[in-house]
Amino acid sequence: MKKSDFLIKSFLLISTVASILVTVLIILSVFSETMRFFSFVSPLEFFFGTQWSPQTAIRPDQAGSSGAFGAVPIFTGTVLITFVAMLVATPLGLLSAIYLSIYASPAFRNGFKPILEILAGVPTVIYGYFAVVAFSPLLRMLGETLDIPIASESALSAGIVMGIMITPFIMSLSEDVMSAVPKSLVYGSLAMGATPSETVWRVIVPAALPGIMGAVLLGISRGIGETMIVVMAAGLNANLTANPLEAVTTATVQIVTLLVGDHEFDSPKTLAAFALGFSLFFMTLLLNMAAQFIVKRYRERYV
Amino acid sequence: MFSFAGRRAKIAIRRMQKNKNPFIFSRGKTPAQKWMVRRKKREKWFRRCGLASILISLMFLGGLILSVIGNGYTAFTRVQILLPVEFSADIIDPEGTRTVAALSGADYRKLIRNSLAKLFPEAETRREQMDLHALISKGAYYKIRRMVMEDPSLIGQSHDLWLPAASNVDLFIKRHSMSSDAGLGNYKINAMQYAWLKQLIEGKRLRKVFNTTFFTSGDSQEPEQAGILSSITGSLLTILVCIFCAFPMGVATALYLEEFARENWFTDLIEININNLAAVPSIIYGLLGLSVYINIMGMPRSSALVGGLVLALLVLPVIVIATRNALRAVPPSIRYAALAMGATPVQVAVHHTFIYALPGIMTGFILSIARALGETSPLLMIGMVAFVTDVPRSLVDPSTTLPVQIYLWTNNPETGFVENTAAAIMVLLVVLVCINVLAGWVRRRFEIKW
Repeated sequence: MKKSDFLIKSFLLISTVASILVTVLIILSVFSETMRFFSFVSPLEFFFGTQWSPQTAIRPDQAGSSGAFGAVPIFTGTVLITFVAMLVATPLGLLSAIYLSIYASPAFRNGFKPILEILAGVPTVIYGYFAVVAFSPLLRMLGETLDIPIASESALSAGIVMGIMITPFIMSLSEDVMSAVPKSLVYGSLAMGATPSETVWRVIVPAALPGIMGAVLLGISRGIGETMIVVMAAGLNANLTANPLEAVTTATVQIVTLLVGDHEFDSPKTLAAFALGFSLFFMTLLLNMAAQFIVKRYRERYV
Repeated sequence: MFSFAGRRAKIAIRRMQKNKNPFIFSRGKTPAQKWMVRRKKREKWFRRCGLASILISLMFLGGLILSVIGNGYTAFTRVQILLPVEFSADIIDPEGTRTVAALSGADYRKLIRNSLAKLFPEAETRREQMDLHALISKGAYYKIRRMVMEDPSLIGQSHDLWLPAASNVDLFIKRHSMSSDAGLGNYKINAMQYAWLKQLIEGKRLRKVFNTTFFTSGDSQEPEQAGILSSITGSLLTILVCIFCAFPMGVATALYLEEFARENWFTDLIEININNLAAVPSIIYGLLGLSVYINIMGMPRSSALVGGLVLALLVLPVIVIATRNALRAVPPSIRYAALAMGATPVQVAVHHTFIYALPGIMTGFILSIARALGETSPLLMIGMVAFVTDVPRSLVDPSTTLPVQIYLWTNNPETGFVENTAAAIMVLLVVLVCINVLAGWVRRRFEIKW
C-alpha cells in the first residue's frame, strides 16, 4: 500500500472512531455526574418522590433548605406537554401527508410542501417567542371569554406550539412510509371500486402502520427533548397535575434553570440536572431504537 | 310462487308499462345508491379534513410571521431629537487638564440636561424636569462622550446634535399618530411630554432615521441602544469553529464507512450509533460540553470555542448521514472504471467517488450550518447566555449567538425589547432562508443525475 494511501486511510479510520467516541463520552460524562448525584440523593427518592424543590441552602449552616429531588412531577409535566403536542401533530401531520400524496394536484403539492417544510426549519427559539408573545396571550383571552381559567404558562399553549413544530416532521416521515406501500395494493383497491379515502384507511394506513408508528415515536422523542419552546412558554415550578390548563414544568426546563448561571460542580442542585439529562437521554434512546427497529422490520416486509 | 302485491307492485307494473326499470320501487334511491351517496359524502369530508389540516399549519406559519413582522417592523427606524448641545468646558473639564481620565469621566448627561432646559424653559419643578430628561435615551451621552474623546477641541463650542430618543418616546412616535393624545398611558407618556414632543415635531427637531445602532452595537440595558453586532459576530465565530471540526470529521467518517468498512458487528454498531446520535436531544450535547469541555478540559466558559465544539458534535451525525447518502448515489461503474485504470482504493475514494458526491455533500453541509445557526439550548448550558456588550475579538472571549440573544431579549420585560427581538428574529430568518436557497441552488446547479 502506498504511504499516502495509508495516511489517508488512517485519518479516515481515526475520524470514524472519534465519532463513536462522542457517544461514549456522552454516556460516560453524563452517567458519572448522575452517579455522583445519586451519592447525594437516593435513586428511589429521585424516581418516585413527588416533591421537587432543588433550591439548596446557599450557606451550609442555613437550616431547613436541603432541597427535595423527587422528579415525578417533572416527568409527568414532560409527558403532559408531549401528549398535547402529539395530539396536535399526529392528526395534522398524517392528514397533511395523506392530502398531499393522494388528493393534491402536482401544482398544489409543489407549491405548499416546501412552505410546510419551512415550519420544520424554523429555529425553536422563534417558536418560543411566538408562544410567549402571541399564542399564550391569545389562548388566555379565549379562555377568559369562555370563562375557563388558563394559566399564562399553560401546558396547553406550550404543547400546541410544540405540536406545530413536530407536524412537518411527522408529515414528511409518514409520507415516506406511505409512498413505500406497493402501488399494486393501492391500484388493486381503487380498481375494486373503493374511494380514495377507503383506500387510505383500509389499505394504505394498515400497510404503513408500523412506519407511521415509528414516525410518531420519533415525534414523541423530539417532543420530550425539545427545550426552547418549553423553557420560554412552560412553567418553572414542578406541579403534579394532569390538567393541561395549568402550568407544568419539564425535564429540559429544569435542566436549563438548574445550570444557567454560576454554579459549583459538587452541589446536588447542579448534579440533579445531569440526572435529569441522563433520564432524558435514556428515554429518547429507547424511543429511537424502538422506532428504528419498527421501521426496519416494516421495510423488510415490502422489499 | 313469485307474486306482486301491494303498492310497490303497482309501481313496478306502471314502470314496466312505461318501459322503465321496474325494480326501482320507491321514488327515492335504492339502498345501494344511498350507500354510494354516503361513501361519496365521507370521501368529500375526508378530503376537506386533509385540506383543513394543511391550512391550519399554514395559518400557524402565517401567524408566526405576521406576529414577528408586526412587532418588529418598526425596529429598523429610530427616532432622534435635535438638541443644541453646548460643550461647556466648565462641565466637561473644569480643571482644563484634558486628560483621558478627565474626559471619559465627565458628566455629559448634564450637557443634555442643560440643552433640554434651554429648549423648554417652562419645565420648572423637579418632577417636570425629570419628565423632560426622560425624553432622551439614557445612553445618549455616549455619543457626546465619544465625540469629545475623539476631538477635545470641541470643548467650548456649541453644536446641534441628533440624539436618540428614549425607548418609549421612540415607540410612541413610530406607532401612534400625533393627531390625538388618546392612549398615551400605553407608552408611559404624560400630557406635558406629549406637548413637548409636538413642539419638537413642529420645530423640525425630531426625525426618523434608519436604525444603524441595531446593526453596529452590542447588547445594552437600554432597548434603543441595543444591537445585534456582538451576537452576530458570536454566531459567526461559533459556526466557524463548528465547521472546522465537524466537516472534515464527518466527511472522513462517511467515506470510511461507505468505501472501506467491511460489514461486521463493528460497522453495524457505528451505523446504529450515528442514527441515534442524530436524534439525541440537543440539550444533552450541552450537558456533554459542560462536563467534558469546561469541567474536565478547563476551556473558558461562554466562549465561542466551546460553543462551536458543542455544535460540531451536534451536526456531526447530520453531516455523516448526508455524506453517506451522497456517496451511495455515485454509481459503482465510476469506481470500477477508476480501479481498472490502476487507481488504488484510496485514490478511487478520494479522487473519484468523493468528487462526484461533492454537490450532495455540500448541500447537506450547508443545511447542517443552518441547523447549527438556529440552535439555542446547548449554548445555554455552556454559559453563552452572558450579557455581552462588546464584540468578541477572539474565540475565548465571552460571546453569545443570535438565537441566544433572541431568547435573552424575549425574557426582558421592557417593552422596547419586544421590537428588538422581533427584528433579530427577522434577521435570523432572512439568513436561514438565504442559506436554504443557496443549498437548493447548489443542488440544482451542480448535482449530477446518473
